[in-house]
Amino acid sequence: MSSPPDRAILNVAAVSKSFGSLNVLKDISFEVARGETVCLLGPSGSGKSTLLRCINWLERPDSGRVLLDGEPVGMSTGGVVMGDRELAHMRTRIGMVFQHFALWPHLTVLQNVMEAPLHVQKRGRDEVKAEAEALLRRVGLVDKKDVFPARLSGGQKQRVGIARALAMKPSLLLFDEPTSALDPELVGEVLAVMRDLAREGMTMVVVTHEMAFAREAASRVIFMDQGSIVETGHPEAFFSAPRTDRAQQFLLRYSATPAALPLSS
Amino acid sequence: MIHGFAIVWAERGLMLSGLANTVLLSALAGLCALVLGALLSTLLIRPRGVVQIATRVFVDAMRCTPFLLFAYIIYYGLPTLGIRLDNWSAGLISLAIYHMAYMGELLRAAWAAQPRDPIEAGQAFGFSGLSLFRRIVLPPLVLTSAPVVGNQVIQVIKDSAFLTIIALPELTHAASSIQSRHYIPFAAFISAVLLYWMLCLVIEAGVSSIGRMAQARR
Amino acid sequence: MSAADVLAIFSGALTTLLMAGAGILLGLPLGLGLALVRWANTPLATQCAAVYVSLLRATPLVTLVLLLFFALPNIGIPVGPVSAGVLALTLNTSAFNCEVWRAALMDLPKDQIEAAKSVGMRRGMRLRRIVLPQIARVSLPGLISEMSLLIKVTPVLAVVGVVDITRAAVRIGAETYEPLPPFFVALAIYLPMVFALVSLQRWLERRQTRIDAPA
Repeated sequence: MSSPPDRAILNVAAVSKSFGSLNVLKDISFEVARGETVCLLGPSGSGKSTLLRCINWLERPDSGRVLLDGEPVGMSTGGVVMGDRELAHMRTRIGMVFQHFALWPHLTVLQNVMEAPLHVQKRGRDEVKAEAEALLRRVGLVDKKDVFPARLSGGQKQRVGIARALAMKPSLLLFDEPTSALDPELVGEVLAVMRDLAREGMTMVVVTHEMAFAREAASRVIFMDQGSIVETGHPEAFFSAPRTDRAQQFLLRYSATPAALPLSS
Repeated sequence: MIHGFAIVWAERGLMLSGLANTVLLSALAGLCALVLGALLSTLLIRPRGVVQIATRVFVDAMRCTPFLLFAYIIYYGLPTLGIRLDNWSAGLISLAIYHMAYMGELLRAAWAAQPRDPIEAGQAFGFSGLSLFRRIVLPPLVLTSAPVVGNQVIQVIKDSAFLTIIALPELTHAASSIQSRHYIPFAAFISAVLLYWMLCLVIEAGVSSIGRMAQARR
Repeated sequence: MSAADVLAIFSGALTTLLMAGAGILLGLPLGLGLALVRWANTPLATQCAAVYVSLLRATPLVTLVLLLFFALPNIGIPVGPVSAGVLALTLNTSAFNCEVWRAALMDLPKDQIEAAKSVGMRRGMRLRRIVLPQIARVSLPGLISEMSLLIKVTPVLAVVGVVDITRAAVRIGAETYEPLPPFFVALAIYLPMVFALVSLQRWLERRQTRIDAPA
C-alpha cells in the first residue's frame, strides 16, 4: 500500500473522551501532513494534553479513531482494542517528549537514549551507540553522556528527552508542554532544538504556552477551548487577526508583554 | 471442620478470657509504654550528655533485642534480684519496658519533624508553660504521630502472644489449650487469628479517624 | 555453663540464621508479587491480596507457626517443625514486604511508565527494565528493616520444637539451674546481627538522601 505524497501522517477522527462526568474532548477531528509543525493552543482545561495523549493511546479515547500513516492506533480495523504487542509496535513510530522529562533515573544519559532502540527495536549495539552519540551531539549534550539525569538541569534533561524520542526514528513527534516545567532562562535552549527539528522537516504536534515559538515555528495552529477545536489556521493569521471571540480573549490574556505595562517609579 | 468451630464456640468462655487477658495486658502495657516513652523522648532530645547517651543506648539496645529473649530474662532474672512476680506481672513489665523504648524513639522522631514556627507563634501570642504545651504543641503532635503509635500498639498486641511461652493465659495460650484438648488445631487457631485481626482492625479504625481529623486540618 | 553448652547455643544460632535466611529469601519475591498484584488492580486478585496482607500483618508469629504446625497435618499436609517455621516466617514477612514494595510503587512517578510505553516497551520489559530497578533502590531500607524484625521474632520458633537458640538456652538453663547465663549468650549472638542490619539500613537511608539531592 503506497502512500500518496500528500497523505496525512496523522489522522484524528471524531475523538471524544470523558473523565467520569467531565467531558474533556468533544468529537475532535484534524489531520497533520508530513513535515508540518502543528501547535495546540488553548487555556488550561481545554483538553489539549488529553488530545495529545490520545494520539499514542496513553489515554484511551471513548470513541473515534486515530490513524498513523493510514494504520490504526489503539483500535484495530475490526473495532477491537489492540493487544499489548500491536499497540507497543505502533508506539515505536510515535515519539513523545514529556512535561516533566520522565528520564529514567537509574540509567545514564547515553543509556536513556540507547535503551529503547536496543531493547525494543533490537538494533545492534554499535549502531545504536553511534546514533545515540550523534543525537546527543545534535542537542548539545554529548559531554554529559555518562552522567545520571539527577545531575542535569531541567533544560538539559528535556534536551535528552528529545534525543531519546528521536533515537526511535519516529514518523511523528509529540510534545506535551515541553517547557512548562522549566525555569525561564532554560526555556530557550529547548525551544532552539525544537525550532531546528521543525526546520528540518520533522512532523511535530506541540502542546505549548510559548506563543512566540508557536508564531515563529508552527506551520499551523489549532486553538482549543473546553474540549472543542475553536479555530485553526496559519500562525500569522491567528495571532494578528483571530476570527473568534474566544481566541481573541485568550490572546489578550497571553499577550501582556512588559512593554505594555505602565512604567512605575 | 464445622464441628471444630462448634467446639470452639462451646469453649468460648476460655477463648474470651484469653482475649480479655490479651486486651488488658496490651492496653496496660501500651499505655505505660506510651507515657514512659513520652518521658524518654524528652530525655532523647536533650543535648549530648550522660543522660542522653544512656537513654540512647537503652533505646538502641531494646531495638536490637528479640522480645522473647527479653521476656525470658525479666522472667528468670527478677527472682535473682529477689523480686518474686507472677507471670502476668512479669509479662506486663517486659512488654512495657520493651515498647517504652520504641515509643520513645518514634515520639522523638515525630517531635523532630514538627515545624517550629507555629510554636513560636504561640509564644508570641503569650502562651507559655502548660497551656502552650496542651493547646499548641500537643495537638499537632498527636495528629502526626497517631499512625506510628497505632502501629506500635499493634506490635504490643502481637508481642503479647509470645508470653504464651511463659504460660500466660492470653489468647494464643487459650487457643493452644483448646487445640490440645480437642484436637481441632485448625478451628482453634483460625479463631484466634480472626480475633487478633479484629483487634488490629479496631486499632486501625481508631487511627483512621484521627487521620481524618488530621486531613481536615491540612 | 560448659563449653559444650556454649557450642549447643551456637549450633542453635546456626539453625536460627538458616531459617531466618530462608524466610527472607522466600518472602522477598512473594512480597514483591503481592505488591504487583495490588498495584495492577485486577478485580478479584487485588482484594484477595489485600485481605491476605491485612490478616498476616495482624497475626502474631507464634500463633501463625502453631496454626501451621498443628493444622496442616490435620488437613493432610505433613509438616515438620522446621518447615512450619520457615513457612510461617515466609508468610509473615511477605505481608510486611508487600507494604514496603507497594509504597515504592505508589511513589513511582506515572510518567516513568508512560515514557516507557511511549517508546513501545511492553508490560514485561517495562517492569523489568524501568519499574523494578527504581523501586528496588527505594525499597531497600524498608526491606532491610523488615529483615531485622524477622530475626527478632525467630526465638519463638522454639515453641514448635525447633532446636534453635531459645530451645538450647532453655534446656541449658533447666539443666544447670542457672537460667540467665545462656540467655545472655543468646542475646550476645542476636544483638550484633540485628545491630548490623539496622546500621546497614541507616547507612542506606543516608546514602539515598545524598544521591537524590539535586545537582
